[in-house]
Amino acid sequence: MTQASTADVLIVGAGASGATAAKHLAEQGFSVVVLDQGHWTSPSDLPGNHPEYELLWGNHLWHPDPNMRSRPEDYPTNLDDSEQPVYMYNGAGGSTVFFAAVWSRPLPSDFRVRTFDGVADDWPISYEDLQPHFDATDRDMGVSGLAGNPAYPPGAPPPLPAHPIHLTGLRMAEGLNRLGWHWWPGYSAIPSRAHGHQTQCVRLGVCRTGCVVGAKGSADVTLLPDALRHGARIETGARVARITLDENGLASGAVYFQDGEEKFQPAKLVMLGANGIGTPRLLLMSDSARFPNGLANTSDMVGRRLMLHPFGSAVGLYEDDLEDWVGPAGTQIECMEFYESDPSRGFVRGSKWHVMGTGGPLEMATRWHIGEGVSEEPFWGAEFTARMKQSIGHSIDWIVHAEDLPEEHNRVTLDPTIADSDGLPGAKITYTTSENTHKILDFGLNRALEAHEAAGASKAWVTFRNFSSGHNLGTAKMGDDPETSVVDKWGRSHDVPNLYVIDGSVFPTSTATNPTSTICALAKRAATHIVETRREQEVSTA
Amino acid sequence: MSAVEVRLEPFGGVVLSAAQRERLALLADVVVAGGAGMPSASGAEVHTQWIDRVIAVRADLAEAVSRVLVLEGDPDEVLAGVRAGDPELFSGFAFAVAGAYLINPRVRRELGYPGPAPMKSPALPGEAEAYLEDGILDVVIARGPIYRPTPDAR
Repeated sequence: MTQASTADVLIVGAGASGATAAKHLAEQGFSVVVLDQGHWTSPSDLPGNHPEYELLWGNHLWHPDPNMRSRPEDYPTNLDDSEQPVYMYNGAGGSTVFFAAVWSRPLPSDFRVRTFDGVADDWPISYEDLQPHFDATDRDMGVSGLAGNPAYPPGAPPPLPAHPIHLTGLRMAEGLNRLGWHWWPGYSAIPSRAHGHQTQCVRLGVCRTGCVVGAKGSADVTLLPDALRHGARIETGARVARITLDENGLASGAVYFQDGEEKFQPAKLVMLGANGIGTPRLLLMSDSARFPNGLANTSDMVGRRLMLHPFGSAVGLYEDDLEDWVGPAGTQIECMEFYESDPSRGFVRGSKWHVMGTGGPLEMATRWHIGEGVSEEPFWGAEFTARMKQSIGHSIDWIVHAEDLPEEHNRVTLDPTIADSDGLPGAKITYTTSENTHKILDFGLNRALEAHEAAGASKAWVTFRNFSSGHNLGTAKMGDDPETSVVDKWGRSHDVPNLYVIDGSVFPTSTATNPTSTICALAKRAATHIVETRREQEVSTA
Repeated sequence: MSAVEVRLEPFGGVVLSAAQRERLALLADVVVAGGAGMPSASGAEVHTQWIDRVIAVRADLAEAVSRVLVLEGDPDEVLAGVRAGDPELFSGFAFAVAGAYLINPRVRRELGYPGPAPMKSPALPGEAEAYLEDGILDVVIARGPIYRPTPDAR
């Protein structure tokens, strides 16, 4: 088996978390190796460069569901017992290649869910613990926004000015002001002017199919170049089969497949950033005599508490031409009016909303075809062109993200009946949206329809009520108690002291916010902790 | 345990014959009949030109087109039957036709899109501020903080 020289730190996964850790550790002089099963994505290949970009996004190369994509680097997921699909992108930059770059911090109450609302768990850290790392990763990812949002504690302003809220945001803001509800210009990991490796956003509006001009805060654009510049080695097409242990029970590296060859990368310390599906899959594949139920899994919590964080959407049509295709697609304005718990609503926790571009014309046709209450109306045939003229350019889309509280039966396990292109088992997903999450979504969507009415919509309807967001969270819980959690407050395994989990797997609760900001902040915090305690870290010397 | 089948090459196996294109024109016009100043599917050359762009990139939609094209009978009745009996097939066929129709630059222009593909329009200096300059955020700020602070914050 081919073996490279020992790295100070081996990182599995080159997405948001892995790239964040790689950049900050390499900058501090650590020798870093990153292994990712996917490859670099050329901006010229991305769907947004083509007139048929909407069609390409649903095909076998670019579909957000790896089962539909089926590239060699994609591992299969068994969704027989999941009411949601699972979305991810495997490759340099990970799912940030296709995320909308909505950059949303959680609120202080998100870290004290048990204390405030008597459900789930408090995080072992606070908003204040993460705040300096939020600020740092805002700079890493080219975040644009406006300071002074009363939904958040005071802090450093976003590093770049906010984008225009555009005609869509303005129209909805006027409606929210009539209702007396909170709103604020949206935060995006998309630079309003050139920033670091990122070009200025040119508002193509195709962020979710990949940014073709190198503006969006994709980790392959923002973070990995800095990691490389500081000496990190990034191996693509490198699928990790298992994390190895030395005789002292410390992580000693990873066995991986690359071009059909089995290789070994030794390391003093290992970090996992393979997302909320891939990380538990890898831990479960790394079973051993010492850990027969999977690596770092004496708590039996690896893979449990999966939160797929479903969202809802309510679209409204307006008489005025709102140029709804103008980017950034991510968010024109956001609303945190219904974020905090209110017992009178019949559920705990709440939702975060943001206005997005509805998408291209084919997406608009989909909204008519599947929308609640409109799918029975005439659309195809003689009505098609009139409906499209009525809606194209004239729509505002509310996205409602609910907090999805953890439940142990929602989980990731190994599925030995399906395998990836290297013969490794697929991931079995078991997931049911909870009653509380349904209630949050239903309540939020009803309020979103009221917001459309207040903003003067001629027609509004729900187009998605409970759909996977691509936020794969919670499957290696962070906590103080080794019996009920997988990693400690730094992301370090309770069982294996030189093994860290740094992706969305560690979320004790999902929050109702888009998670990438928090994922990056957690990875940055873990990296900083390793730097600051480098002399005390237990490391493998195998 | 066997590895999953993978395929990286763009799908391009389906080539429509002239007869199939004639039939597609009739069926596609049932999906997009035209009106409101816009052409029908066949008037927008869905069956002659644009459907090939759809078939080239979407195997699933190509299959739906192929399956519908073999059905004989009056186009209205055929698609009504498909819609009632196999909604998924109808959706695939309808979105193949709509997808072809909506990438025609003339159609996009008539719908109000600025170009045949997403167009660059970087924000103008002062544009972001202009949306806020009449104090539209003042009432939000005046209501004050709405978050619950960390109870044990240091």
